[in-house]
Amino acid sequence: MSQAHSNLHRSAWADWWEGTRRTDIWWTLAWFDIVLRYRRSMLGPLWLTLSMGAMIAGMGPLYSSLFGTNLSKFFPHLTLGLIFWGLFSAMVTEGCNAFIGSAHYLKQGYFPISLFVWRSMSRNLIQFLHQIVLYIPVALWAGISLSWSALLVIPAFLLLLINAHAIGLVLGLVCTRFRDVTQIVTSLMQMLMFLTPVFWMPESLPGRARYILWNPFAQMLDLLRTPLMGGTATLHSWLGILGWTAGSLVIATLLFAKYRRRVVYWL
Amino acid sequence: MALISLKNVSVSFPIYGAGSASLKKTLAASVTGGRFGKETGVNVVQALHDINLELKSGDRLGLLGHNGAGKSTLLRTLAGVYEPSAGDFVRQGTVASLIDPSLGIEPDASGIENIMLRGLVMGMSRKQVEGLTAEICEFSGLGEYVNMPVRTYSTGMLMRLAFSISTSVQADILLMDEWLSVGDAEFTEKAEKRMKDVVSKSGILVLASHSPELIARECNKVVRLEHGRLVEH
Repeated sequence: MSQAHSNLHRSAWADWWEGTRRTDIWWTLAWFDIVLRYRRSMLGPLWLTLSMGAMIAGMGPLYSSLFGTNLSKFFPHLTLGLIFWGLFSAMVTEGCNAFIGSAHYLKQGYFPISLFVWRSMSRNLIQFLHQIVLYIPVALWAGISLSWSALLVIPAFLLLLINAHAIGLVLGLVCTRFRDVTQIVTSLMQMLMFLTPVFWMPESLPGRARYILWNPFAQMLDLLRTPLMGGTATLHSWLGILGWTAGSLVIATLLFAKYRRRVVYWL
Repeated sequence: MALISLKNVSVSFPIYGAGSASLKKTLAASVTGGRFGKETGVNVVQALHDINLELKSGDRLGLLGHNGAGKSTLLRTLAGVYEPSAGDFVRQGTVASLIDPSLGIEPDASGIENIMLRGLVMGMSRKQVEGLTAEICEFSGLGEYVNMPVRTYSTGMLMRLAFSISTSVQADILLMDEWLSVGDAEFTEKAEKRMKDVVSKSGILVLASHSPELIARECNKVVRLEHGRLVEH
């Protein structure tokens, strides 16, 4: 087949940037995703806060006695664990639908696809912001004191966003082409929730099971949760996440460069 | 300055999950006009085949052809949705695609909110949309209904809203799938006037239609698509 040429063709980098710089589009789309979902309910997006609050309040006392951990130590651990896991899981599973869910736009005109990954990410972030406020009363109750090292949560969060964007692009492309992958990812995330120290304490792992902490979600959770609880994340987690980030960026770049204009054909 | 140039442009779709080609499908292919082929075990529909087309400012091109001949695919290729699988495609000028104006309307959002959503997606900035909102509401004639959720609208009202938003921007190249005609007698007259206005201000019009009369009335060039190939008319 002969080579196709088009003056609409942008380089991969220009295409990515074109989608990224239109913040007004993706932010508005994400905002409406949330607003419209709760339009007819009285409390609106506050339900996000309430249902997470109910989950934490219900699980906290039970699991702290099951694990035999002091509640003032376990409660903040569980709160941040559940809230961050909610964010990770939403970013991964909704990333699968980033393009399928925006098909009616993509089939209408030329859209740089990075736009729709930002849309799904900002929707998840809005959701997250409604839930993370729950940590404030919990931290005050547990008497957590933060040092300057808590600021390390900022670079950690940036790393999370980079990874979420890269994974969103990869899964968005792969799941549009192979529709089974969405199902695989969803069940994988359910399983990973138990392999990640969301509920349990990483210290309670016996030595030979510590390889579980190589799980990127466990490392990311360490980077984000530990500084907010007054500790410092392990070097192991930082190095691990940097490695995972490099990997996801390479795969995302390769797939994006090759298939970004192809994805419409798969919708 | 508007310009469209297609040289030997082909567009072929891989069809996944449709099973292998069967007799039934082969028969269907001869009826519907798409060309089915096989490529690495995946069905491939050759929707456009070797299209050559040169359009410059002032051209009003009518596309004829029966269902599945490739009219919509050609319009979408011109809109930039599908990157051609082969050939050269050059396009200059801004594009307004009126291929399906009611696409992407959120039923739970109000009329005003839908104007913002559609406007942004059509490539305007928030400021531009805000500047145009009053005029769009006025033209749609929906009155107080613009603040109501779109799901409460009748079909005619929905069409009015979609029409008013889509025709609110001026572009060099106008792509249309059938002439837009909406609403009751009073609105139809207004809409017709607006359509004529938008069309006359555009550099290039590409109009796909099943109606030879319409195309004879609006266009100065006509081509016919058959099985994804251009046939001069």
